[in-house]
Amino acid sequence: MGNKLNTRVVGTRMRRPDALDKVTGGRGYVFNMKLNGMLYGKMLRSMYPHARILSIDTSAAEKLPGVKSILTAKDVPSKAFAPIYIKDMYSDGVRDVRVLDNVVRYTGEPIAAVAATTLDIAEEAIKLIDVEYEELPHYFNMHDAIREGATQINREFENNICLSPVIEEGDLERGFAEADHIFENTYSTHRVHTCYMEPWMSIADASADGKVTIHSSTQHVFGLREKLAYILDIPLSDISVIKPHYIGGGFGSKTEISSAEPLAVILSQKTGKPVRMENSREEDFITNARTPMEVTLKTGVKNDGTITAREIHVIADCGPYATYGPEAMMICALGGAYTTYRCKNRKFTGQAILTNNMRAGAYRGIGGVQGCFATESQIDEICETLNLDPIEFRLKNAHQAGDPNPITDVFTPGAFKLESYRYEECLREGSAQSGFHKRMPAGSSQGSKKRGIGMASQPLWVSGCVGFPDIPEQSGAIVRINPDGTASLSIPTIDIGSGQITTMCQIAAEELGLKADQVKMNYHLSSDILPFEPPTHASRATYSAGNAVKKAASQAKQRILEIAASMLEANSEDLEIQEGLVFVKGVPARRLSVAEIAQYTESALVQLTPESIKKGKIEDKGTILCTASAAPQSNPSTPCAMFVEVEVDTDTGEVSVLEVTYAHDIGKVINPTSAEGQVEGAVQQGIGFTLMEHMQFDQDTGACLTSNFLDYKMPTAVEMPSKINCIFIESIEPTGPFGAKGLGETPLIVPAPAIANAVYNATGVRIRSLPITPEKILTALEKL
Amino acid sequence: MKQLITLKVNNDQYEIAANPWETLLSVLRDQLGLNSPKRGCDAGGCGCCTVHIDGGAVYSCMMFAHSAQDCEITTVEGISKGKSLHPLQEAFIDKGAVQCGYCTSGILMSAKQYIDEGGGSEEKQIRQSLSGNLCRCTGYQKIVDAVKSVAENKIA
Repeated sequence: MGNKLNTRVVGTRMRRPDALDKVTGGRGYVFNMKLNGMLYGKMLRSMYPHARILSIDTSAAEKLPGVKSILTAKDVPSKAFAPIYIKDMYSDGVRDVRVLDNVVRYTGEPIAAVAATTLDIAEEAIKLIDVEYEELPHYFNMHDAIREGATQINREFENNICLSPVIEEGDLERGFAEADHIFENTYSTHRVHTCYMEPWMSIADASADGKVTIHSSTQHVFGLREKLAYILDIPLSDISVIKPHYIGGGFGSKTEISSAEPLAVILSQKTGKPVRMENSREEDFITNARTPMEVTLKTGVKNDGTITAREIHVIADCGPYATYGPEAMMICALGGAYTTYRCKNRKFTGQAILTNNMRAGAYRGIGGVQGCFATESQIDEICETLNLDPIEFRLKNAHQAGDPNPITDVFTPGAFKLESYRYEECLREGSAQSGFHKRMPAGSSQGSKKRGIGMASQPLWVSGCVGFPDIPEQSGAIVRINPDGTASLSIPTIDIGSGQITTMCQIAAEELGLKADQVKMNYHLSSDILPFEPPTHASRATYSAGNAVKKAASQAKQRILEIAASMLEANSEDLEIQEGLVFVKGVPARRLSVAEIAQYTESALVQLTPESIKKGKIEDKGTILCTASAAPQSNPSTPCAMFVEVEVDTDTGEVSVLEVTYAHDIGKVINPTSAEGQVEGAVQQGIGFTLMEHMQFDQDTGACLTSNFLDYKMPTAVEMPSKINCIFIESIEPTGPFGAKGLGETPLIVPAPAIANAVYNATGVRIRSLPITPEKILTALEKL
Repeated sequence: MKQLITLKVNNDQYEIAANPWETLLSVLRDQLGLNSPKRGCDAGGCGCCTVHIDGGAVYSCMMFAHSAQDCEITTVEGISKGKSLHPLQEAFIDKGAVQCGYCTSGILMSAKQYIDEGGGSEEKQIRQSLSGNLCRCTGYQKIVDAVKSVAENKIA
């Protein structure tokens, strides 16, 4: 298939329909919501990283006027659950988290909850709860946690290891024997938070008839419903999760359930009133974080740059529960190192380790960020050592369009191919536009402020999850044609800032033959009416949800044409729709508007006018309302390459990112403004992760020391490069909606190695442990 | 002990009862029902709650409601004239400067001060003027573009 497609609405810079509300005050967030008689919930959290709770005295708190209910472990179901939504929701793997437990395993883990008439009273009440702890040995360091004799942290896992996979292929020994050079290095990454701006919150409203309604700033309507039903033993159909209009950022964090949502429901059941549970920023910082990992990469390479063997060992700090940590570790290895380049002889071993640190989460680019840092840093080292061109080295080992999809092939061999795949153009175009080949040799920059250019790439990623174990990947959409000629689009996909409200309307408008502003997003939706969908995660929404939207729109279009054919006394095959008008091909005068057609379907069978009696056809009557739900046909890959120019002040160790050139093949670009926004925003998060952000914890108590934005430093407008050059190498993905593929995560996967490689080019100093702080640079330069 | 105070917000006068420790942010949101000042951190770190006090951008989470008496308080709800948007609001929509939008209100108020004070179209100055506001979605690029376009039009 070619790389061009003629579209009218898809591919335009349509303005966000939600932007008007957002610039005039932003009413649409759940955070603004209050219900009559609403109580405020608050959780008491552990002061210790690992302790048994011997007793809890709530008597003083109960006496505080305004306190309506207090919950401790004895008042809530003791059923263990898996908090992450992505695992098959009807057959959870590891269930190891409890709403409230009698053992706490990280500092900040909830112990009790209070509902009170005001937030101030709830906060006051939790201070009055007296807890007697018995401290248990704790481990903040992965290596300590797996030492022999270490105390078991989690009931389910001895030795504090919750997953130790081995995946291999070919003959590793032979592969290394064939190599002229073997490189072995360890690369480590640290803990950072997603820093969504809207606090994570929910309001639960349990009614007298046992039904529960929940409003939440979640990334997943159905995960919240299934998990609550399971944990609280409420019939699934008695829980209504109201879909938020949009949420103030998620980036993966809000794809899981915390203790707050089930506690809010129980507090509401006990008090008969709605209960609002909202995190303070300090609480938000300890919800979940990117999984810290150590990746040891041993790579065999021939003199000409051919990779002959690769051995990957990953250890991951999951915190005390098997939440997203093991998943992230698998993705790190498989998506970040095992599959990215051609290599017949390969092996991955991993240990997902339990510690008394905060929970591992699903931060945008889950696992891939850690794996890419190792792989792409090491390629830079290989190319420097062997004097190979970094672009040519990558291309020599790259997969090609038409190859079996290397990522999905690990689990579903032969199922999917790399159909659209323009990795080479990403490398070449990015290189040309950034001036990469004009860069100076490493460390040759003169003066104390040294400039350098680095690059890195992510040859493979996903557009959804179909073909992966345990992860559902179905999407759905409902299209209704309104008598005013517009279409209402109802989708379970939550716009977490990533622009689905816009792109899904564009896809529907394109398919229906309507104008861009003739498709309206329906904001009044819940789990009761919506078709199932996984979270807005895994770069999946544009591709998977887009396909469902296109399918529902296509059905609605068929129905419009059928009715128009009946009204115009023509064949539906001879009709087409353009800009809201249906006409006989070649006879533009014989036409009807979509509004007239929709009015006719909803009007009475017989209509009396002053002039005549008009009779319709009974089979034409009934609202045009079409629902589609299906899994996508593939899981196409989004390759990308990033080029970065940095300046390193070798007196202070500070690194500034001066310019970024970032090339992506995301198939057909549905909305260039949205796509650029995804890339530019990811660059902010990538610079933060690589150079600035690092969650710090008290080494005695485990308390988070960077739990506000004064201590946790993310880039402001000042720290950002003056230029981010977004290049989209368009391809047409045959299985994508109008040729589109996913984008959300890839732009955040590559910045760390690209910046690290640029720092090396500027200074001749290689930093293999993130973040790249001034201290590390000055130490490496032997200035400290 | 709650005391009655008078606040002038977006040219309307309100008489409300507030404890001395209550922040301007909580009063604006919880008592006056204004959605635009957002709670992001309650610690003067994110800028989501930025409003104008006598024309200057202030973190409303860092100011007591009582201290705002006798001041002209302006929020995003007060910057458009009826249905007609402020040029910054138009530019934010036009340039794609809004993604999740949670930081948008605060950033608009910081940008408005910059524009009101005659700020020019130099990117560096625009970036400085926005450095008290965090955004996690946009990378600031399109926000800077939007402010720049308003600054340029004003000069022209």
